[in-house]
Amino acid sequence: MKALSSRKFILMGLLPATLIYALFVFVPVIWSSYYGFFDWSGIGEAHYIGFDNYVEIFRDPIFWTALNNNIIFVLASVFGQIPIALIVAILVQKDGRLTRFLRTAVFMPMVLSTVVIGMIWQYIYHPQIGILNFLLQALGLESWQRVWLSEDYGIFSLIPPLIWSFVGLYLIIFIAALQNIPGEIHDAANLDGATGARKLWSVTLPMIKGTIIVAVVLCISGSLKSFDLVYIMTRGGPAHATELLATYMYNSTFSSYRYGFGSAISTTIVLISLVLIGISQWIMSLKSKSKT
Amino acid sequence: MNSAANSSARRATKTKQAVLWTLLTVYGLLTLYPLFWLFLSSFKSTQDFFNRPFGLPEAWKFENFSNAWESSNIGQAFGNSLITTLGALAITLFISLLAAFILARFRFRFKGAILAFFVVGMLVPIHSTLVPLFIMMKEISMLNTYWALIFPYTAFALPTAIFVLTAYLATIPKDLEEAAFMDGSGLWGIFFRIMIPISLPALSTVVILSFLHSWNDFSFALVLITSTGLKTLPLAIANFADGYQTDYGLTLAAMTIAVIPTIVMYMIFQEQVMKGMTAGAVKG
Repeated sequence: MKALSSRKFILMGLLPATLIYALFVFVPVIWSSYYGFFDWSGIGEAHYIGFDNYVEIFRDPIFWTALNNNIIFVLASVFGQIPIALIVAILVQKDGRLTRFLRTAVFMPMVLSTVVIGMIWQYIYHPQIGILNFLLQALGLESWQRVWLSEDYGIFSLIPPLIWSFVGLYLIIFIAALQNIPGEIHDAANLDGATGARKLWSVTLPMIKGTIIVAVVLCISGSLKSFDLVYIMTRGGPAHATELLATYMYNSTFSSYRYGFGSAISTTIVLISLVLIGISQWIMSLKSKSKT
Repeated sequence: MNSAANSSARRATKTKQAVLWTLLTVYGLLTLYPLFWLFLSSFKSTQDFFNRPFGLPEAWKFENFSNAWESSNIGQAFGNSLITTLGALAITLFISLLAAFILARFRFRFKGAILAFFVVGMLVPIHSTLVPLFIMMKEISMLNTYWALIFPYTAFALPTAIFVLTAYLATIPKDLEEAAFMDGSGLWGIFFRIMIPISLPALSTVVILSFLHSWNDFSFALVLITSTGLKTLPLAIANFADGYQTDYGLTLAAMTIAVIPTIVMYMIFQEQVMKGMTAGAVKG
């Protein structure tokens, strides 16, 4: 009797979470891998066309621009956010007023809406009324002024807002890791006469190596999630120069009602992120090997 | 004897410290500047916006806020954001705690499979579900309803919520509920009277994460909501900028309205927000 009732309870308790999760995360992914084989405008019959959508994607230069831009975002995150966060974390690791102020300030963008972040930076970059060009003028650097979100500079201009938004996350992760290093290790290092740069390289950094690798993995997997910022700031333009995989998917689906084609791009994004996750797992396995 | 050397060394460290402090303070202020600029500019007239890009407003236009709130749907969008965010939050809290209670406290055959199911789902990039969700919701006529946002917000908040709560419950001794069970409390009774109060600290992390994700979401709202009356704040503001492009003070006031709730939450629960978001990121 008791076993029966707890069995019913287990089933009823797990059902809502599992059902909502399956319906709104898994079913869509499976559906899109199916619809990817059809030519369908949302109304009327869907025509089965085999791999034609995928062939079109891989022949589309915009897809390669988007993939390339996603890779630029990964590299900018890994080589921008992580060094800045690490250096600042090492400098401010002791608790104090400055530390608290910096943590509060640098983490702040993490709680802001990406729409607002994108719009603020749009104003900063605005060619006529943007404060960046105003500032350059005030400093007498007129020759540095430019149309920041242009075909030539657009993708690089998107990097500072990207770094600004997420660097706080890594700062907090690194500060926590540094504060977790046991005091005895610092004492031992000091007794051995290791101070300053020597201690940093041979004691501190190796101690938080695991955390640094986790942060790199987070940077890589976070890169495919970029959509809002770019959509708000450039819509992927001008002339598709700042397109990312997600904006490419959005633009090709909803501006021309090509749901089959959009589904094929969605499936491609899932596959690419699985490859990236595979790479991350491989990096992680290197980490566990180096530990033993 | 070496006091002179010592004091000059000390002076050198002091200078170094001062330079360091200055640099870090400048960095912190630079980081805050875009936000500071937003707040300041939201009180400016369009005139001031052009003429005094870095300065204080010549005349503080508080009416930017009331105008944005009333004349341009920002008040309505605020309400829509509140409904979808709180709706998703309530459902997430209830069903994730229920699932975590079972995963942490019961032994059954498919436990590993269910946990694995939630882990695999965390690997799905959100944007790859936009097109199929749009198609799916179109078929079942769910587009342009609050549910079109509440369900996806809940679904994507679930894995982190379940992991945070399961891990927390695993640290709590089982004596409490065993005693209650002996006293004849049913399983639902144990859930409502013991599990909910016991889990409050972990539930607060879930509240923070789920609130921030839903409140700030743009992409689901962009794809799944088209009717003006249902737009959430981020969507309304993105459209607002297109419509009122020349009234900068008004647009910036609308943006300020959107960020105030999360900034207030951040200021009050700073430590929990940081802990929650880093835990969510590392686990997710």
